[in-house]
Amino acid sequence: MSEQNTLSPPAPRSAGVPPRIGIWLSYGNLLRWMMAQTGAMLPFVIVVQALLAAGIIIGFGFVIPDIDTSSAQFLSTGTPTVLLMFIGLVMVPHSVAQARTTGTFTYLRSLPVPRPLLLLADLAIWLLVALPSVAVAVVVAHLRYGFGYSFDWPVLLTASVLASVTATAVGYAIAVSLPPLITQLVTQVLVFFVMLFSPVTFPASQLPAWFQAVHDVLPFRAAADLLRAGLLADTYTASWRDLVVLLVWCALGVAIGVRALTRRD
Amino acid sequence: MSRAVLEVDDLTRRFGAVVANDGIGLRVRPGEVVGLLGHNGAGKTTLVSQVVGLLRPDGGTIRVAGTDAVAAPATARRCVALQPQAQAPLDGLTPRMAIEIAGRLRGMSRADSRAGARALADELDIGEWFDRPATPDGGGLSGGVRRLTAFAMAAVAPVPLIVLDEPTNDVDAARRRRLWKVVRRLGDEGAGVLLVTHNVTEAERVVDALVILDHGRVVAAGSPSQLRGSSDADLQLELSLHPDGEDPSESIAQVPIPINRRVRAGRRVLLTLAAVDAEPAVAWATALRRTERIDGYSLAPATLEDAYLAATSSANANTTRTEDAADV
Repeated sequence: MSEQNTLSPPAPRSAGVPPRIGIWLSYGNLLRWMMAQTGAMLPFVIVVQALLAAGIIIGFGFVIPDIDTSSAQFLSTGTPTVLLMFIGLVMVPHSVAQARTTGTFTYLRSLPVPRPLLLLADLAIWLLVALPSVAVAVVVAHLRYGFGYSFDWPVLLTASVLASVTATAVGYAIAVSLPPLITQLVTQVLVFFVMLFSPVTFPASQLPAWFQAVHDVLPFRAAADLLRAGLLADTYTASWRDLVVLLVWCALGVAIGVRALTRRD
Repeated sequence: MSRAVLEVDDLTRRFGAVVANDGIGLRVRPGEVVGLLGHNGAGKTTLVSQVVGLLRPDGGTIRVAGTDAVAAPATARRCVALQPQAQAPLDGLTPRMAIEIAGRLRGMSRADSRAGARALADELDIGEWFDRPATPDGGGLSGGVRRLTAFAMAAVAPVPLIVLDEPTNDVDAARRRRLWKVVRRLGDEGAGVLLVTHNVTEAERVVDALVILDHGRVVAAGSPSQLRGSSDADLQLELSLHPDGEDPSESIAQVPIPINRRVRAGRRVLLTLAAVDAEPAVAWATALRRTERIDGYSLAPATLEDAYLAATSSANANTTRTEDAADV
């Protein structure tokens, strides 16, 4: 080997610090990487979303005998929120917990990219996974109850994106703050809380006053009401308060996620 | 002499009461392949994690390509390509995509990363799987191909420092040899390579220098021949003892030939001796076996292994009843 040392001419490998590369180039390549990982399960996720949507819209319909149109509409327009929360609060934490267990999380943190980009790439990928669920829920509800919608597209789009990003950011924050096993347990409990104890598929007025007050600061009713205002603009109006509540939770989730990515223990 | 691409001085890191790194100092210069050897739990991975900014040291300094890696971890990460001990996240990717993306993330042009990926696939002989995607739960690509792909991802871009943590795990013998050739090439092209391993025999063939860690401390450092501590003509006599049997070399005075170093590892005793003493050594060992004081013996050229075992066993001599290396 040492003979080779003296024979081969040294190639130009600089010993200096390599130049910083553009942030969009880094982001684009990270997206390619993560899309290849997550993209493979996209068709599967859409099928699960359709099944879940059918489960909620048709199944909950059985719980309420002689369901009237307004109850059916409320239930149906709450369903997209349940789906978005399911993806953000169950699938995302599961994926992050797995990444932490297998060393993927550590690997990505050792890459030469600004670490907050890792979270931004995850948010974008999960948004892509989650958004079809709104359409899926709308179609399933239409097939079951046959009522019409009155879309407010700007509100619907804003609400869908914000609800999805918030759920993903909060789910990410949970998964980086708790040990993987505890994360699995917490997210299971959370999804039950969203489905059964949150005024998402039923009106808040059915809850005791103190519990309504709790939901005024939690993101679930806020997300549901915003999305509903986008789907049934004739009946429901969006409130700025709900928007602010969601933005605060989103910022909190992102801050915790970025901190976990950039922190050195 | 050019400046080292990795300079670690007095590095200390604790986990609770455990001192994982205890005042470690080491250098990797451009063009140099440095082996970092140690048993499991010696502190190797802790050291690497601090170099790439995953852990913060409790004390000491790390400079990568002249940059203070503790103060500016993001800049340091641009200078280090790491192949971690855990598998790289490849699910959904083909080796081609993974290596190209790794190159692109380090600022290589599309054409350069493509050409680099192709060249490494040929060098490592993984062309057969180059366009086959890895699937979740270990499908699509075998562990060895995944490991070689992760190695190529660390090797594709020109960076000052490459850190390889057990790069040959799961890799077959033929491709191991190819991998070591690439490691040697990277060094010859001017990169500094820090090779973390517990495989002494393999490391001996590729490294320019070795640092041996034990319980978080550097217990020996130098070139392989320096560490062997003896001329290349030295021999190693290995005695296999009976279970619970006495060690006939327990007292060096009882050995009828001059012994340069004596290391005991479990039921094996490694004695380093000069080549001229081969004949009396064999006579002695044969007599020991005939009288059934030992189970067997072998005589072979001295290797780094006994130096390594001597260095790492001396630190816990009191607890394991292993004798210190006796330099006569």
